[in-house]
Amino acid sequence: MFSEIQIGNPIFGVITLKAWLKNRTKTQVITVCLLLIGFIASMIFINNNYELYDRTIVQITDVQEINREDQVDTHGNEDEHVTQHIVGEIKNGSDKGKSTEFDNEYMQSLALDYELSAGDEIFLAQDGNAAGDIKRDKYFVFAAWIFLVILLAVGKSRGALSALSLLVNAVILSVALDIYIQHPSISLSLITLISIIIFTVLSLLMATGFNEKTYTAILTTLIATGVSLIIAYAALRFTGEQGLRYEEMAFLTRNPQTIFMAGLLIGSLGAVMDIAITLSASMFEMYEKNNHISIETLKKAGYEIGKDIMGTMTNILFFAYVSGSIPMLLIYFKNAAPFGFTVSMNLSLELARALVGGIGIVLTIPIAVYISIFFIRRKQAKL
Amino acid sequence: MNVLILLAIILFALMTWVGGMKGVRSFIALFINFLIVLMAVFVMNDPSGNPIIIALIACGFISAVSLFFINRVNNKTVLAFLATIVTMVILIFFIIILTEQSMIYGLGEEESGEITTFNVHIGLNFVQIATAVIIMSTIGAIVDTAISITSPMREIYEQNPDISRKNLFLAGIRIGRDILGTNTNTLFFAFFGGYMGLLIWFKDLDYTIGDIINAKVFNDELLTIFISGIGISIVIPASALMSAYYLKKKKKDIVLEDKK
Repeated sequence: MFSEIQIGNPIFGVITLKAWLKNRTKTQVITVCLLLIGFIASMIFINNNYELYDRTIVQITDVQEINREDQVDTHGNEDEHVTQHIVGEIKNGSDKGKSTEFDNEYMQSLALDYELSAGDEIFLAQDGNAAGDIKRDKYFVFAAWIFLVILLAVGKSRGALSALSLLVNAVILSVALDIYIQHPSISLSLITLISIIIFTVLSLLMATGFNEKTYTAILTTLIATGVSLIIAYAALRFTGEQGLRYEEMAFLTRNPQTIFMAGLLIGSLGAVMDIAITLSASMFEMYEKNNHISIETLKKAGYEIGKDIMGTMTNILFFAYVSGSIPMLLIYFKNAAPFGFTVSMNLSLELARALVGGIGIVLTIPIAVYISIFFIRRKQAKL
Repeated sequence: MNVLILLAIILFALMTWVGGMKGVRSFIALFINFLIVLMAVFVMNDPSGNPIIIALIACGFISAVSLFFINRVNNKTVLAFLATIVTMVILIFFIIILTEQSMIYGLGEEESGEITTFNVHIGLNFVQIATAVIIMSTIGAIVDTAISITSPMREIYEQNPDISRKNLFLAGIRIGRDILGTNTNTLFFAFFGGYMGLLIWFKDLDYTIGDIINAKVFNDELLTIFISGIGISIVIPASALMSAYYLKKKKKDIVLEDKK
């Protein structure tokens, strides 16, 4: 929708907004209107939802820097300690509308604290005398809208389906974890396995509908995930998990091993599904174009496509996992922690995730090729 | 034996078995990319450098390795490279504004507990570091999408050289739509798999929806997914447009040369 007016312009001739509107179907115009209304309504809501929170929200009206001094730590890292005097207006609760004052201290590197400026909205800390956290919901909703609109603009109905499938998957994950928390007797592995089956079936059906290539992709994904689980488990057992530093796994309230294994499987699931559907879709398409295509040609073509996507897919997982450790790596290095220690403490789990994901991706290729061939052969036999 | 080394050996063996020489190159590329990330971290250690610029330069190297080393230098990889750069340039402003405004920089309260023995006031700019992290997290997906579009577009063009520029562009967009959903899905699962612990933490400690939606770590993760999705969406028209423009222009040049 939008991509064509914005990006299409310089090359395909000037399309005025009016002409563009003329070329749209009714559904498209209605969709755009609904999106616009939804966007405006939710932005107004999220910017005025103060009463929904129990914690006191303060909108900062005035900031004055009252002190700034240099600090040097034992490793020679220079930083500045800054104190701000904050004046703000309370936005909710019994003191709504009243003015409040407090001091906000921060270090210039902003590793733990915030530099506040007029207009920011914050949650007041429990004692009422410091900034607790930032009100981020509006940015979250704003970014979600931009994401949705661009997804729809480029992907149209396919984009809508992918957004929907992300939402459905998030809900499934949340429900699965709720079940896990409420019924400690059910093991996380079992819940993860069942969720993986639901994720796979729903996501792939939503992506390509009820047909043979979808069934092939579902079967491939489940088998490939199963095999990579066995490989990962065997490797962990064989080495006695030597080299994995669970102690640095953040956010732990439970047994790290189980959570790590569950995360390992779910983490590579998206990539495995991606490869499975790409391969089965292109192999079935080749068969549709030429019903008598030889199995040998199909197999070779499947492997060719697989080789092309293998490298970049492993890269996606690698960067998604490893980049998040950069701040921690920097903190370790700046505290003069030894290189090997720093890397193994901060990257061992991420690297294990990326490697197991990569193993899953590569395994998917032959599995997808052979399962597609199995179904295509059956179809050819019926001809 | 160290489990990481064992897993790396298994991955290498599988990649070689399935992908032959290309598999070997893919594995080496992964290794080089790891070194590039470590190098970037080393350079960021210097407080006078700008982490955003360092991340952008690192991304340039990473895309060059992923594209040119695995797939060799040819017009489809060059086009994918250029499309990646253009997308990054468009995306960077959005990332900078969003990180600064939503203050998702630094460590969340959930994370900071684990490093009590270390001094975290290390004189580096954590706002810029947060931006750099988001840039680096998205680069893999953007490069993948770019090459997945320019490569089949050249095939389409070679099979139908008479295709109009507009139709070639639209074919690229259609291919892009297929990739859009699966790539956002890949990232979604990757991030949620990595943060299973965090999600269970939220549920265990009875965080309300309001607590979660305003929490720094949660926003950091989800904004990264959204930004990656936006990046994937931008690189689709960008690479389709550049390929359509370049491939058709090349044809005109050939026709002109023939006339001469």
